[in-house]
Amino acid sequence: MSLSCIIVEDLQVAADYLNRCCEKSGQLDVKGHFLAVPGALEFLNSNVVDLIFLDVEMPGATGFDLLDQIAYSPKVILTTSKPEYAFDAFEYNVTDFLKKPFTYQRFLDALKKIPSAAAEVTENTITETGVDHIFIKSDGKLIRLNNEDILYIESMGDYVKFVTGEKKYITHNTIKNLEEKVSKQSFIKVHRSFIINIDKISNIRENGLFISGKEIPISKAHKQEVLKRLNII
Amino acid sequence: MGSETLPKQFIFNEKMDKDTLYGLYTDDFPYIEEIFATTLRHFDPDFGAVQLAYENGSVEDLKKAIHKIKPTFGFMGLLETQASCKKFEDECAVAASVTDITKEYTNIKNMLLEARDIIQSEYLRLKAFNANPL
Repeated sequence: MSLSCIIVEDLQVAADYLNRCCEKSGQLDVKGHFLAVPGALEFLNSNVVDLIFLDVEMPGATGFDLLDQIAYSPKVILTTSKPEYAFDAFEYNVTDFLKKPFTYQRFLDALKKIPSAAAEVTENTITETGVDHIFIKSDGKLIRLNNEDILYIESMGDYVKFVTGEKKYITHNTIKNLEEKVSKQSFIKVHRSFIINIDKISNIRENGLFISGKEIPISKAHKQEVLKRLNII
Repeated sequence: MGSETLPKQFIFNEKMDKDTLYGLYTDDFPYIEEIFATTLRHFDPDFGAVQLAYENGSVEDLKKAIHKIKPTFGFMGLLETQASCKKFEDECAVAASVTDITKEYTNIKNMLLEARDIIQSEYLRLKAFNANPL
């Protein structure tokens, strides 16, 4: 099974070389190359990848700034020319540290340290649902989310994002599967990509509703059901 | 006695470490040509950032710009240039202003220009080498 990855690297020749290593390995599907942190962050906010090849010093923000801002923890291989970052790399639990330039063999050695995507997928699922809470597995931990803390759940392909007022959690699951598992008293599916906490709606418009400033679409198929559930006078 | 076809070999400029180049790219000369072309395409903007930082008197930007361009030379087998960039980056880290490192800047600037000429010349030689199938 191939792993999805992105390359975040401001030096073009290094990015091209890395891209070539990824292709040659036959184990990686490169979803994109970003020259700076903001572009990568935008991509990672709506896409999930298994692995990031990450430079540290880039214009504007560092690779560690990126890791601080993403809502989940993909595997990370740092690519830098400064071994001084080894301590930070350890702190951020990165898988390996490639000092540029590195050989293809060294690249493969780093890749061997990444557990297979399949192993990750079986791990990141909802394990328990209760009346007022659910447990999800995210980043290798079991996390309890109280229904009242969840604002909405958004589909991200084979993953879903649980959004609370404080944090976002990404786990391997689907909206279709969750629709059956979450409390029907608190949650309702409003669109093929969204399940929302009905108590968190601040206002509703023609084709959308707002929760904590985020506009969420309501599909025609779900609109009647949503309106029925609201306490409309 | 039958004649044997020997694999084509390219003799790199003596300033380029051939073990590094073969370690990175084996003997994939078309790919090395591609890598050299990419490097040359991005060299001037990256070198321009070094010059601009110095002209603007920003030692912090100078450090960042030299840090960015530094690995380029590793990918080109120009290990001495890469090591000099590292040394200059360290000097920037402790310099209070660009005037403290004027001499070092002039040296590194000349070194980078020389490296660009070597890469350019080797790129053209590689291009000719790859174009000739015999």
